[in-house]
Amino acid sequence: VTPGASGRRGGRPDVTLAIDWPACRARGLCAELLPEHVTLDEWGYPVLHGPVPARLRDLVVEAVRACPYRALRVAQSASG
Amino acid sequence: VRTAAAPVSDLVVLPGPMLLRDAWQGVDLLSHRAARGPLPHLPAGALVELVTAAVLRGRGGAGFPFGRKLAATARGRRRPVVVVNAAEGEPESAKDTALLRTVPHLVLDGAATVADALGARDVHVVTASDRPETGDAVSAALGERDDPRLRWRHHEAAGRFVAGQSSAVVELLSGREGLPVSAWRPLAERGVGGRPTLLSNAETFAQVAVLVHDGLSAYASVGVPDEPGTRLLTVSSRFAGRLRRSFREPEARVVEVTHGTPFSQVLGPHEVAGPVLLGGFHGTWVEGHDLAALEVSTAGLGRHGLTPGAGVVLPLGALGCAVRATADVAAYLAGESAGRCGPCRNGLPALADALDRLADGVDTRARVAELAGVVTGRGACAHPDGTARLATSLLDRLGAHVEEHLAGRCACPASRRAAS
Repeated sequence: VTPGASGRRGGRPDVTLAIDWPACRARGLCAELLPEHVTLDEWGYPVLHGPVPARLRDLVVEAVRACPYRALRVAQSASG
Repeated sequence: VRTAAAPVSDLVVLPGPMLLRDAWQGVDLLSHRAARGPLPHLPAGALVELVTAAVLRGRGGAGFPFGRKLAATARGRRRPVVVVNAAEGEPESAKDTALLRTVPHLVLDGAATVADALGARDVHVVTASDRPETGDAVSAALGERDDPRLRWRHHEAAGRFVAGQSSAVVELLSGREGLPVSAWRPLAERGVGGRPTLLSNAETFAQVAVLVHDGLSAYASVGVPDEPGTRLLTVSSRFAGRLRRSFREPEARVVEVTHGTPFSQVLGPHEVAGPVLLGGFHGTWVEGHDLAALEVSTAGLGRHGLTPGAGVVLPLGALGCAVRATADVAAYLAGESAGRCGPCRNGLPALADALDRLADGVDTRARVAELAGVVTGRGACAHPDGTARLATSLLDRLGAHVEEHLAGRCACPASRRAAS
């Protein structure tokens, strides 16, 4: 099973992350908490690697809260 | 030759079939009404139908179907705001300047029609501070308007590349610095002052005006079935300065082209003798002899992976070096980053540097491709993506030129130095 951008597994939708780029200051906490899904570019800014599986939602919430600049977000649904 | 940052000033506007039919007939409201007649009123539903039937796409660069944008804005609960974006941040573009200086009331009629249909009261017209004559033309025209219920306001955005990006314009109108920000919801839902906002390019409004004044059948009497009507192009010879002086041509010309016209009828033989940067500094390189055979239309260009963008056409000429030109443009674009988004602030100077070394004869192609990939999609506005598109198109579409340049067979000085 390879869920796409709006893929679902067990009825729970994957979580799509978004960065508020003007707010991001490359602290990198998101990459520490979600190393499989967020890496850092050569300047320390996050690179997102697709949607995060729903089972990691708690970790996503933690990463969103951990960002000192509130630059990490869960993207709104596709209609947004 | 470093690309100048100042916008096009030495400009010729040629008469055209629809938008520029009455250019130079008198810019005042009386002359305009005499030429075009009174402005008809259309309810939102009828206007959506009309622009959808005319397959009208936005002319600011993205080419989004205008009917869908209009319908989305009309769905909001609050009273919408209308914004005419004539900030024209791309220095090589002069079509919005041309419209506002020759037929300002056509643009304003389009905005009034849209505002009227949406029940909007506030209509903002945004020009750039480095195009003062355009701002003066707008001020003069707004002073003559007689639209009941509408409140017109003129704003000047900073004369910089990213100031024309839609989120930057909305920031400016919201009383903040006019720089791009992350837009989490579409402007049709939440824009100026939190209201549903219809922000479109000045030419798009002029197209709406022609459509409501002349009617669909007259509008669609020219063009191709899947894209009726015309489109404005700015052909700038800034890259080909040497050529221009020898031909005694102005720096740029704005032409209104019927959709379906081949580029060979729009550009002279000397202009398609070398590569052409189509779509301006955020555009795509294409070989002139390939472009000559293509027709001016969204679909005609789309079949070859191209888009008209905001209609800027930059011929390099047969004697220019596309590698050096790309490096110069990338250096300018890196300097135009607002510097707010990390990947753009760091990535664009790195990309410009890699292109500069490529122009100096060092094979940095892998680094250029890598950096173009790194910056794409990682900013609040289209600036990193557009700069990456320019760089990528040099490698993908002008690969033979780059090879020749690196092999010392390009006519440019750096290439000859490398060969010796």
